[in-house]
Amino acid sequence: MIEVENLKKYYSVFRREPGLKNSLKALFRRHTTEVKAVDGLSFHISEGKRVGFLGPNGAGKTTTLKMLSGLLYPSGGKVLVDGHLPHKRETSFLKKIILVMGQKQQLLWDLPPLETLELNRAIYEVPMPVFRKRLGELTELLGIGPQLRTPTRQLSLGERMKCELAAGLIHGPKLLFLDEPTIGLDVSMQQTIREFIRSYNEREGATLILTSHNMDDVEALCPRILVIDKGRLLFDGSVAELVAQVKPEKRIGLRFEGSSLPENLEAYGRVISAGAGEAILQLGLGEVSEVLGQLLTRFAIKDLTVENPPLEEVMSELFSKHALTRNEEAAEFS
Amino acid sequence: MSGVLRLLGASMWRYFKLLGIQLKASLLLSMQYRADFFIDAVISLFWAATAIAPLWVVYGDKVQGKIPGWSLGEAMLVVGCFVFLQTVLDGAIQPSLQTVVEHIRKGTLDFVLLKPADAQFLVSTARFQPWKASSFLASLVIFAVAFARLGFWPSLGNWAQGALLLLLAVVLLYSLWIWVVSAAFIVVKVDNLTFLLSSVFDIGRWPSSVFRGILRWVFTFVIPTALMTTFPAKALLGVLSWAELGLAVVCTVIFAVVSRWVWLRSIRRYTSASS
Repeated sequence: MIEVENLKKYYSVFRREPGLKNSLKALFRRHTTEVKAVDGLSFHISEGKRVGFLGPNGAGKTTTLKMLSGLLYPSGGKVLVDGHLPHKRETSFLKKIILVMGQKQQLLWDLPPLETLELNRAIYEVPMPVFRKRLGELTELLGIGPQLRTPTRQLSLGERMKCELAAGLIHGPKLLFLDEPTIGLDVSMQQTIREFIRSYNEREGATLILTSHNMDDVEALCPRILVIDKGRLLFDGSVAELVAQVKPEKRIGLRFEGSSLPENLEAYGRVISAGAGEAILQLGLGEVSEVLGQLLTRFAIKDLTVENPPLEEVMSELFSKHALTRNEEAAEFS
Repeated sequence: MSGVLRLLGASMWRYFKLLGIQLKASLLLSMQYRADFFIDAVISLFWAATAIAPLWVVYGDKVQGKIPGWSLGEAMLVVGCFVFLQTVLDGAIQPSLQTVVEHIRKGTLDFVLLKPADAQFLVSTARFQPWKASSFLASLVIFAVAFARLGFWPSLGNWAQGALLLLLAVVLLYSLWIWVVSAAFIVVKVDNLTFLLSSVFDIGRWPSSVFRGILRWVFTFVIPTALMTTFPAKALLGVLSWAELGLAVVCTVIFAVVSRWVWLRSIRRYTSASS
C-alpha cells in the first residue's frame, strides 16, 4: 500500500541574526540554511494496517504525512502510495485518501457541518444513495445528529472534531492520514474518537497512519509504531518491542493489606511512588518473576499489577540515547 | 472525438453543479446575518451613486466636452461599466480570493489542494456576496440614464458587443486578482496589494482619453483599465473599431493564460505553514 525508500525533504530557510544592524544587512544579503526535515526515511505499510508516527516536535512527522498525501514534493527518495506518486495529486489518488488535522479544520465556520458534507459529496462525486447510507452510519457512530445542523462556530471542540471526521470520511477513503486527531480534547472524547477510528479501520479495511503526541492514542490504536527523530527512523515495531529494546523493565503496582508499607521496599526494585498501603516498583525484565515470588511470600498483598513502563518514559529514554550517539558521532568526525 | 466532447461536457456539468453548491452556501451564509444583508445592499447602492458624482464635478453645469471626445452621457456609460465591474469585483472576485489569503495564512489551503477538483476553481468560487447584486441594478440605471441623455438606444449588435467586452473585462479583472493572490504565496499578507490594485482600478471610471502618452499605454496594457471600461462603453456606442475588439480579445487571452500559469507556479512553490 505504502512504499517509502530513502525519502528526503530539505527546506532552505532564511537565517536572520538578531538586532537592527543584522536585520538591515539581511535586507540586502540573506543567508540561507538548509533544514533537513526528513532525512532518508524508509518503510513499507501494507493494506489495512494501523501505524503510528511518534517523535518530538519538529521530528518530521507532519512533513512525512504531507509528502505521503501529496502536499509536498520530496527533495529525494521514492514514495509510492497505492501505486500512485502522491505529488501528482491525480484525481483517482485524491479520492482514496483523507488528511485530518487536529489543529486545522476544513468545515465552513459559519455554516452547519452538513453544508461542508454536501460540498464534499459534489467534489468527490459520491452518488446520492451512497452518500445517504454513509451519512446515516457516520451520524450514528459518532452521535452527531443535531450537531450536523448547528453552525460550526457554535460547536464544542470535540463535536467539531467528530464532524470534521464525518466530512473527511463521507467519500469512503481507503487511506487515512490523521495528524494529531485528539489534540485539545478531554479524555472521554479522546476515547470516543479512538474507538471510532478503530471501528472505521476494521469495517472498511482502511489503512491508517496516525501522528500524535498523545501516547495513549498510539498505544491504543497502533499495533505498529515508527519512531522518528530529526527526520530519521529510530525504531520500527510494536510498542512491546520498543519497550523491550529501549527500556526492558516492568512496573509492578502493589496494594498491601492494611495501610502501612513494608520498610525495605527499595531492596526489591526502584520505588516510583509509595503511599498509604500502595506502592509502584520498577525493575528489570529478568528480575520480575523472582521478585514477585519473594514479595508474595513475604508480604500480605491484596492486589498486584504488572505493566510496561509508560511510553513517555520509554520515548524520552530513546531520544536521549539517540542524542548521545549523535554527539559521539559528531565528536568522532571533529 | 465525440468521446472527448462527452467527457468535456460531463466535466463542465460537474463544475457547474459545484458552482451551484458553492453559491448556495454563500447565499445561506449571507442570509444568516440578515441585518448585514440589508445594510450592505443599501451601502453598495450608495457607493454606486457616488461613482457617478465626480462626473458632475468635471462636467459642471451645462458645460460640455470637458473630457476630449466624450460627452456627459457617453462618459456615464464608462461609469456604468465601471460600476458593473466593481459589482463583480466586490461580489464575486474579491471575497473568494480573500479566503485564499486566509487559507494560506492558516495553512488550511492543504484541504483545498487535496480535493479531487481544480483548486483554482474551488477557491475562486468559495465565497460570493449576493447582496452586491443591488449595485448591479445601479449600473443598469446608469446605462438607462446615459442613453436617455444621448437620445438613442444601441442596436442589438452593439449590445452584444458591449456584453462580450464586459465579459472579457471580468476575465481581465479576475486574472489581475489571481496575480495578487499568487503574491500571497510569497509574502503572505497582501492586503496592501489589494488596496493598491483597487485604487488603480478606480481609474477605470474615467474614459481612457483623459490620459496621454505613457500613462495611456500603461492603463491599456499593464493595468488594462481602458480595456475594461472604456472599450465596452465604446462598443455600446457603436464606435469600437475591429482592431480595438481584436486587441481586447488578445489581451484578455494573454492575461488569462499568464494568470493560470502564475497560479500553477505558486501552487508548486507552496510549502504550507508547518504545524
